[in-house]
Amino acid sequence: MEPLVISNLVLWVLVLGLAAVVLALLRQVGVLHERIAPAGALVGGELPTVGDEAPVLEVADWRGEVLRIGGPNAENIETLLFFVSPSCSVCKSVLPVVCSVRDAEKFRLVIASDGERDEHVAFVETHGLARERYVLSAALGLAYQVGRLPYAVLIGADGVVKARGLVNQREHVESLFEARDRGVASLHEYRAGREMTR
Amino acid sequence: MSGLDPFVHQLLSLGGLLLFASAALHKLRDPLSFRSAVAGYRLLPNALVGPVSRAIPWLELCTAAAFLIPSAAPRAAWLGVVLLVIYAVAIGANLARGRREIDCGCGLAGGARPLGVSLLLRNIVLIQGLLALLLPVAARPWSVIDTAALLPATGTLILLYAAIDVALANSARQREVF
Repeated sequence: MEPLVISNLVLWVLVLGLAAVVLALLRQVGVLHERIAPAGALVGGELPTVGDEAPVLEVADWRGEVLRIGGPNAENIETLLFFVSPSCSVCKSVLPVVCSVRDAEKFRLVIASDGERDEHVAFVETHGLARERYVLSAALGLAYQVGRLPYAVLIGADGVVKARGLVNQREHVESLFEARDRGVASLHEYRAGREMTR
Repeated sequence: MSGLDPFVHQLLSLGGLLLFASAALHKLRDPLSFRSAVAGYRLLPNALVGPVSRAIPWLELCTAAAFLIPSAAPRAAWLGVVLLVIYAVAIGANLARGRREIDCGCGLAGGARPLGVSLLLRNIVLIQGLLALLLPVAARPWSVIDTAALLPATGTLILLYAAIDVALANSARQREVF
């Protein structure tokens, strides 16, 4: 075969390979776009909704200390109610995240669950929850209509619900504070508002 | 030597065949979402949305089939041009109305795709490719190397078209994110 013919065929093979690589790269860019899409805590129609007064409840924590949840806070700090259950594996992975966010945001963290105390002993020990405000109260979950776990409610120092939602990962937890800072109920609402103004 | 080189003619015919065949199969596989895309354009009375959305994939399939017959290539090209011009007018009308957010019903990469000027440009390029098929084919002997190069060239064309499709989908998704 003529050298030019051979080089032509080799070039075609290379061009074909390059086009395949370009396609693969662009598909990966698409996957990356999906990964970096903003993730927010999932909010349903639960009450009290964002902007409502939080119900005032007095509950005892693991050590027996009585906590007042809802209403204006005496120390003027926010409260994050984090609803978990020992049987929920996602809760266990989100728990350290919530604790690390607490260090950055400075709020009163109340970890809430319900059930018999003996069911929680191992859970409290392995996660060092005795140091935290760990509350066993069915009334709390009912008051905030928590249906799915792990669930978080951010209550402002003035006793008003600032943000709430199902939180499965760090982005969801952080979105609660983002939603509070932007004065919207959730990131869903924020994006919906942007779409309408477009 | 005047007219379109036979290699380019063959390449464009194969490209047209694959373009319309894939578009038709894509729509036939998911007729419901294509129907809702057609309705989303809001150009047809409700009574016509169903018949038109059922007819379009078959028209595309006819176009693809006509590319298989060498003597029918100019007719296939005309049919293709008419279809693409209709799509371009529909897209342009909705862009002019400011309705960018509707599904174009044209994406290969799956999922709804908003309208954009880039889609219009893509259609114009495709129309030009088809119009080139109407040119007279230059007389020159078909050589072995033409045959050898036709397949990889078609493959490259498909891959690049798919890559552009994905790139358009990506840029649409990026606009959606904040």
